[in-house]
Amino acid sequence: MNASASPTRSLPPSGWRTRDIVVTAVLGVAFGVVFWALNIAWSALAFLGPLQNLFYGPWLIPAVLAPLVVRRPGSGIFAEVVAASVSAILGSQWGVIVLLYGIAQGLAGELPFLATRYHSFSWPVVVAAGLLASAAAWLLDWAFFYSEVAVATQLVVGALMAVSGVVVVAGGSIFLARALREAGVLEGFPGPEGSAP
Amino acid sequence: MIRASSRADRTAGSPLGRASPLVTLGVAVAWLIALATTSQPWPPVFVVVVAIPGTLAFGRVAPGDLARGLAPLWLAALLVGFFNALLSPANGDPAAAVLASVGPLRVTVPAAGAGVALALRVVAIVAVGVGWSRVTDPTHLADALAQQARLPERFAYGALAALQAIPWLADDLVALREARRTRGLRFSWHPRVLVGLLVLAVRRADRLAVAMDARGFAAASRTRYRVIRWLPVDALVAAAGVAVLAGILALR
Amino acid sequence: MATDTTPGSAPVAVVARGLAIAYPGREVPAVSGVSFDLPPGHCLLVVGPSGSGKSTLVRAIAGLVPWSVPGRLEGHLSVGGIEPGSSDPARLVERVGVVFQDPSSQLVMERVDDDVAFGLEGRRWPRPAMVARVPAALGEVGLAGFERRRTARLSGGEQQRLALAGALAPLPGLLVLDEPTANLDPVGAAAFGETLGAIRTARAATVVLVEHRADLAWPLADLVLALGSDGLPIAVAPPAEMLSRHRAALVDAGIWLPEPVRSGPPHVTPRPPPSMPPPPPGLPIAVAAGVSFGYEPRRPVLREADLAVAPGERVALLGANGSGKSTLLRLLVGLLRPTAGTVRLAGQDPARLPARRLARLAGHVMQDPERGFLAASVEAEILAGLDATERARAGDVADALGLPLTRFGARSPYRLSGGEQRRLSIAAQLVRSPLLLALDEPTFGQDRRTYEALVALLRERVEAGTAVIAATHDLRFASDLGGRTVRLEGGRGRPEAAPGRPLAPGVVAP
Repeated sequence: MNASASPTRSLPPSGWRTRDIVVTAVLGVAFGVVFWALNIAWSALAFLGPLQNLFYGPWLIPAVLAPLVVRRPGSGIFAEVVAASVSAILGSQWGVIVLLYGIAQGLAGELPFLATRYHSFSWPVVVAAGLLASAAAWLLDWAFFYSEVAVATQLVVGALMAVSGVVVVAGGSIFLARALREAGVLEGFPGPEGSAP
Repeated sequence: MIRASSRADRTAGSPLGRASPLVTLGVAVAWLIALATTSQPWPPVFVVVVAIPGTLAFGRVAPGDLARGLAPLWLAALLVGFFNALLSPANGDPAAAVLASVGPLRVTVPAAGAGVALALRVVAIVAVGVGWSRVTDPTHLADALAQQARLPERFAYGALAALQAIPWLADDLVALREARRTRGLRFSWHPRVLVGLLVLAVRRADRLAVAMDARGFAAASRTRYRVIRWLPVDALVAAAGVAVLAGILALR
Repeated sequence: MATDTTPGSAPVAVVARGLAIAYPGREVPAVSGVSFDLPPGHCLLVVGPSGSGKSTLVRAIAGLVPWSVPGRLEGHLSVGGIEPGSSDPARLVERVGVVFQDPSSQLVMERVDDDVAFGLEGRRWPRPAMVARVPAALGEVGLAGFERRRTARLSGGEQQRLALAGALAPLPGLLVLDEPTANLDPVGAAAFGETLGAIRTARAATVVLVEHRADLAWPLADLVLALGSDGLPIAVAPPAEMLSRHRAALVDAGIWLPEPVRSGPPHVTPRPPPSMPPPPPGLPIAVAAGVSFGYEPRRPVLREADLAVAPGERVALLGANGSGKSTLLRLLVGLLRPTAGTVRLAGQDPARLPARRLARLAGHVMQDPERGFLAASVEAEILAGLDATERARAGDVADALGLPLTRFGARSPYRLSGGEQRRLSIAAQLVRSPLLLALDEPTFGQDRRTYEALVALLRERVEAGTAVIAATHDLRFASDLGGRTVRLEGGRGRPEAAPGRPLAPGVVAP
């Protein structure tokens, strides 16, 4: 490693500063801890059957919140996978399968931001992210846990999850990103949602 | 109590503990996907019969520890089975024998059978998941992701460093709950609690990132203190995993 | 760079000329006009009131500004011939080791040896050199044999020494320490100080140290840089000259100074309490009788502890980390339920009281104020959970604590300085005029000015009839509070010296 005059020379090409990586990962871990605390409540909701998924929202927030905060391509999937890993490694009752969910939900939530090449963080983009993340969860649940349930019922569940995706996931992520900004802890990250970075 | 790692020390030297987490993860994921392709009851039974004794014998996981991990699954399995049976399209088949009916709701025998199969699938998914979590060490996993899967190591080790914050974040949650009580507010999942937790998380992440930069984390490449190599046990675990996978597919 | 010889660097010289550092987006620099010459192997102590920019300055000296810590460098700074603001960060990072204040945000690995090796990996040490160096670095900080221990299971003092081992492992030419003992109890701080003393004696590295514990830090220093609250230097001088020529200016700025050496225990200026409370009239306000508690089964933190607090009484609760001080406070104010024994607050079981009622009987000020903030603004923070009468009082309480709502009301609690955050967390409790105020380590990280304001405020509350109980490591505070001291040992409470009598020097059986 030779000396160089540029202060950014030794930064890796992806453009992720250490701060971006660690803030994204710790956001994921914080949600992992919240999931852990919510797990008991979630199990108690099992009596709702497929309708339980209405309350799926919190599990999808990292996928949408991290891109809003960190604004680096891949931040949504990274945060969601880290959050899922906390569940998988610390032994939530679901284990490995949570990782599959994390990858799928993170990837789905990431897509709308990638489609705008991380230039737009406006309502429609965030809502699309919330909807896609919900859709991923819905399809996986269908495949793994409710494959015997009639298609008509699945569609009703899907519609309800879409509502949750808009209100809880998109709305919740925007609320939290704004609250973090107002608390003054996001200095050094690109500007408020809706604007180009 | 929430911990930064769930793996017991004696598991580290066991065959499943020494195998690359990528191999055990790959095997587990392959089984889960195979299970999702079938509605038969026997494949999940087979997986449970393999996974639980396998974890105990080859992962040296304490039976009590495994039992505690599996404890919450029974109710979930019952409920998933119940709803699949209740909401199955097979209930609309007028020719099928009716097992039970309450008012307009009826559950037919084929629907009940499908419900049982899905309940067993839940048991299998959880058994595999809990087993994997008990034999997997986060540091080992991060090393494998960086060195064997060749994922960018700054992300693997950044995530690993973030995992160390788990006990502190759990304490933050307790402190926020106590702060609400001392102000005369009842504890609930008030959005401000989540905001408070995330603010503390970002603060801690900022400090952690500077500390990591100060220790050379921004460097474009690193040397390795822990070197992970492919071992014979990896081939054995993979072979056993494929054999079980073949069994699952054969039992469909 | 990875060669056969062991990597590492010789002690470096640090030179600053008219150095200024500004936060991004702010015109006025946080620190400015800093000039000094620190020869290789010498120790610079940086002192100043909170908010004087000490941390920012030492982060710049460590080469972290601007690429890791945002900020703008002006003037001249050279560390071993490298200019931090203009060089490739990797070149400087290789020569510098840094220890920060908070163990929870600088340990990155689960196992001790992996954590020490973390910094070596980033500096591209060859593996055999790492394998040899890790145990040696642990030995240097008194943690030999700790290799496979889990970092999360270490005590706070051990964690800080582990952080020091991680910083020392790459054999840095410059060691930067930013309040490394701020979160430690006296025992942990003393052990850390001893390790630092050995480094200083060996002249193994140049040292830049920020430290509030004057008695620990000043004997280590070759040169002292004192910053005023405006971020401008008061003086740069060797310690003896600083104390003889600039004492008044340092005292004025609210900087802690080392106490003159005395014989006997290192207890500071015991002063008679201004007014001893009269003997408990009638029932005590808070009682713990035979109280036991543990967070995990079979690992009790408190065992059959007894304590009674009279109305208007002052109690300082002493004891090592882990002796159960914080736990006892939380039991008294109804945040925890004892596993055995009884707790009574104004004759009732506080753990069973509804939150609304409890909040009017007892206040609890936690160690880290940030952890208890619930609102987006200072005003909302004080008003949280208040009824109409109390709301009317909020403005007066805020004024009394130096947080006038006209100026601070709309600010984010997280954007206040450390001292302001502490006062806000106290204001949010005092606004209900609780009968008992429990404070957990209220003097951590306070400069002398905010410390004196806190002591005066607590005395005032006691005059007004509030009982105050404080868990503290700070023997000076225990004395200045002017009441009774109780020492927790092995999970049991033991009444200690009468007010004013010297206390045992911070050594407590585990």
